[in-house]
Amino acid sequence: MMDPFLTVTTTIVGERATVLSATGEIDGDSRKILGEAADAAIAAGQHRLVIDLTGVTFCDSGGLSLFVELHRRITALGGELRLAGLREMVATVVRATNLDRLLLLYPTVDEAVEASRHAG
Amino acid sequence: MPTLSSMSEPDQGRWFEPLRAILDRSHLWTPDDVTRSVNAALAGLGMRVRIWLIDYEQVLLRALPEPGRETPEPVPIDGSLAGRAFSRVVSVPAGEDGRRRWWVPMVDGTDRLGVIEFATPADADGDERLVRNCEMITGLIGHLIATITQRGDALETARRSRPMSPASELLWRLLPPLTASTDRVVTSAVLEPSYEVGGDGFDYSIDDTTASLLILDAVGHGLRAGLACAVTLAAVRAARLAGGGLYEQARAADAALLEQFPDSRFATAVLAELDLGSGRLRYINAGHPAPLLLRGGRLVRELSAGRRMPLGLDDAAVEIAEETLEPEDRLLFYTDGVTEARARDGDRFGLSRLVDLVRQHEAAGLPAPETLRRLAHAVLDHQVGPPADDATLMLVQWSTPAALNTVPGAGTTTREDQDG
Repeated sequence: MMDPFLTVTTTIVGERATVLSATGEIDGDSRKILGEAADAAIAAGQHRLVIDLTGVTFCDSGGLSLFVELHRRITALGGELRLAGLREMVATVVRATNLDRLLLLYPTVDEAVEASRHAG
Repeated sequence: MPTLSSMSEPDQGRWFEPLRAILDRSHLWTPDDVTRSVNAALAGLGMRVRIWLIDYEQVLLRALPEPGRETPEPVPIDGSLAGRAFSRVVSVPAGEDGRRRWWVPMVDGTDRLGVIEFATPADADGDERLVRNCEMITGLIGHLIATITQRGDALETARRSRPMSPASELLWRLLPPLTASTDRVVTSAVLEPSYEVGGDGFDYSIDDTTASLLILDAVGHGLRAGLACAVTLAAVRAARLAGGGLYEQARAADAALLEQFPDSRFATAVLAELDLGSGRLRYINAGHPAPLLLRGGRLVRELSAGRRMPLGLDDAAVEIAEETLEPEDRLLFYTDGVTEARARDGDRFGLSRLVDLVRQHEAAGLPAPETLRRLAHAVLDHQVGPPADDATLMLVQWSTPAALNTVPGAGTTTREDQDG
């Protein structure tokens, strides 16, 4: 926990989706790394975000509240936040908190990007 | 129950003066003055006391300093006679130097505050009568100490083995007593790490017909989480006290959290109401671990219905779940810091370990607060280093015997059992 172990790379896919690929663990400390990457994308006018969680092995409530916060901000801007590639551990946490009712979840990044393309 | 017939015996009257002296003096007590004035009041009976308070982590009993007397070293709960009196809520004799000593459990209502050590003359009344009177004196002192805790800092500092974080300081002042009992129900809770609690909290309200219950876990750590927990507690209480049901309580927390925390701080929680006549339980689960229904030491089921999103997420769609308890049933509420606690090898504390410990402690006849104290320590012992998350447990027993088991003097003074 002292040494947040999370890296995020940003890829713009075509016209309508920006993929933030996270690798590592998302908790109350490391969430700011993902938060800053999302801030930068939003500031650049990219409002259709996909967070690729394929490489995320752990996520606690600090990470979940970041997803909720980003969901709200992006929705308010007329955009959409999608989460893709959740491992079982992360999916369990999302389901346990009933946040699967709020967040848009996709099995793969491709499916999330595809959905972004057809949205709005 | 203590026999009231003994009260009518002629020399019972000599206990009246000390009681009156303690009560009279207590209006102006300072923490320093408590033990001194109790001892002055008891001098005529040839008795002395030392007052021991339980520390926040519920590991050691710590003597309340008395001016002019040396303060003894703290005494551990585990493996001591004093600890036995505390943990079992039962008076324990300890002979010494030709005098009789008694360790008498000190509670406020049924909330365990510590023990009072009585040194009594060897030729005092018969043991049974003597100890009932010591319990009566202790009962008065327990209530009085609870009322003056906030008059000065010394009663608080006497309970602390180290400084407390601001978040913990905030939270402990908001929480109700850990344990409360009535004729029909006992509810007891425990929070760890007690000096650095973040966002966990609990609440209850028990009246003649209903026990209202709340456990919650606000996102994050430290003071921010503590503030979110405080806002949630206050919103739920305000709605409940205004006559709102479970749905209104949850919506009030949604509104308060949304207003105060634009960065989407949320709190997972279970809000429940237990009808104390019929055993009907109604509950809402806002993204929290499902409470456990335990019967005869076994897990009947996880109460996994009534689900909505965490408090603070403006979730208007909720169905209130229902369950019917049988007499003697237990409900165990917990936060994920309990089951997620990880050992060095990654092994999580988990649900089955939790249920198994409750079963063991129930079989040993432990009072609810003692079961929880041991559960909390088992969780702490399971993990390496400081806890990664808050761990909170709340046990509710719909049971008159379980409630009586938290009352001092309700059993016999020398109740035998297998472990300390």
